[in-house]
Amino acid sequence: MDPLERYLNNLSKLLPAAQRDDIIRELSEDIQSEMDDKREELGRALNEQEQIDLLNRRGNPLKVAAAYQQEHRSLAFGRQWIGPVLFPFYIRVLTFNLSLTFFILTIIFAGLYFGGQTVHVNEVFSNFLLQIFLQFTAVTIIFALIERHLAKNPSHWTTLQVRSLHLPDAEKRPRKVSRLESISIIIASAVALIWMQAVWSHLFLIFGPAASFLRLAPIWYQIYWPTVAIIFASMLRATVNLVRPDWVRFRAVSRIIFDAAGLFLLFVLIRAQYWVVLAGEAKNQPAGKAHMLQVVNQWTYFALWIAAAIAIAETVSHIVRFVRTIHGPSSAGM
Amino acid sequence: MLDTYTVCSTVYDIHHMPHSQDNPSLLEHLRLELRRGSLILAVLACLRSEQYGYTLRKALSDRGMEIEEGTLYPLLRRLETQGLLLSEWREEEKRNKRFYRLSPLGTEILEKLLAEWKAIDSSLDQIVKG
Repeated sequence: MDPLERYLNNLSKLLPAAQRDDIIRELSEDIQSEMDDKREELGRALNEQEQIDLLNRRGNPLKVAAAYQQEHRSLAFGRQWIGPVLFPFYIRVLTFNLSLTFFILTIIFAGLYFGGQTVHVNEVFSNFLLQIFLQFTAVTIIFALIERHLAKNPSHWTTLQVRSLHLPDAEKRPRKVSRLESISIIIASAVALIWMQAVWSHLFLIFGPAASFLRLAPIWYQIYWPTVAIIFASMLRATVNLVRPDWVRFRAVSRIIFDAAGLFLLFVLIRAQYWVVLAGEAKNQPAGKAHMLQVVNQWTYFALWIAAAIAIAETVSHIVRFVRTIHGPSSAGM
Repeated sequence: MLDTYTVCSTVYDIHHMPHSQDNPSLLEHLRLELRRGSLILAVLACLRSEQYGYTLRKALSDRGMEIEEGTLYPLLRRLETQGLLLSEWREEEKRNKRFYRLSPLGTEILEKLLAEWKAIDSSLDQIVKG
């Protein structure tokens, strides 16, 4: 593949999906015209290094793509940490992680409240604030490092090996897994693993003030390693797709397998019937706590069914997409 | 309205604003600011006759208005979205090219902008001459 194709291929993954083909066609034409002029001027065809120099002068694909972003949102404290290209993915990962955490915290605090436990506003506030701080710090650092790496390696695109881009017949181009999507999954999974590990050793992160008398039921310890295995497998899948974005079918099949494994774990969890137990010392004085424990478990039960419904919908959507990859142009990909 | 983007951009711009002691950098910064406003006018004026991106860039460059591709193409898209330009893909010299031209609204706006430009130019001339 020549440098122009490699350049456009890397650029195309960073552009807004709706305008991607149009922008690539136009830029391709512009670069071709410049190369034609240069060839006429030199009286010979450009060699590979001259083509790379010409493309490098146009700038890193990340910078070029940033100019096409309709929303120029970025994160800056003094200097810019996360630019407009990575920003939407950063927000997506942060939102996903925070939503999941808040969902769990809401269930716990609601359970405590309706169970008769006194829940102080400052306790709820400080718990939520701590979660925001932890997740924001972790996700921001990871994305800032990626941004910095990409900015420091403006010619990185020249070393990437990607499949040929067929221009201008964009509709015939095989579908690919976005590299930024793969990076987002790796980051989100890494943060989820860190968070799980933190919760395991610091129960107050999830139980707040109730951590003094509540414990996770044994079922959570039974599904801990299978859950870690699924998260690791998702990270591995995303890493493979980072290297081979053309393996669309591989992603489709793995996602269905992970979905099935996740659903199985949810089924095991739902069957457990109780998910939170009283700590050793609290068992001696269960009078006021027993009702509260019952409410927390009841809320958890409903939450698990909601999670199961969402997971089933996701699985169905992934199966539909898989069927499409069989009949679509990407069928050539693994 | 003051939103996160405005605050972040302001913080970023202030931080990156060249210091007065750093004269070449300050001059470059002010020069870019000055050119940024007139660029839209130059592009609209050039597109009174139909052109595609590369020839437009060359036409601007030949008249002393250098513009990077990374600035020109997003600007053309924005102007088209605003209804000031029209574009169509057409084959020329065996290659598909996207041709741009002023829309009726663009023509109308250009006339008003040119009048504004002349008024600013005249005012500035008087101010500079004292």
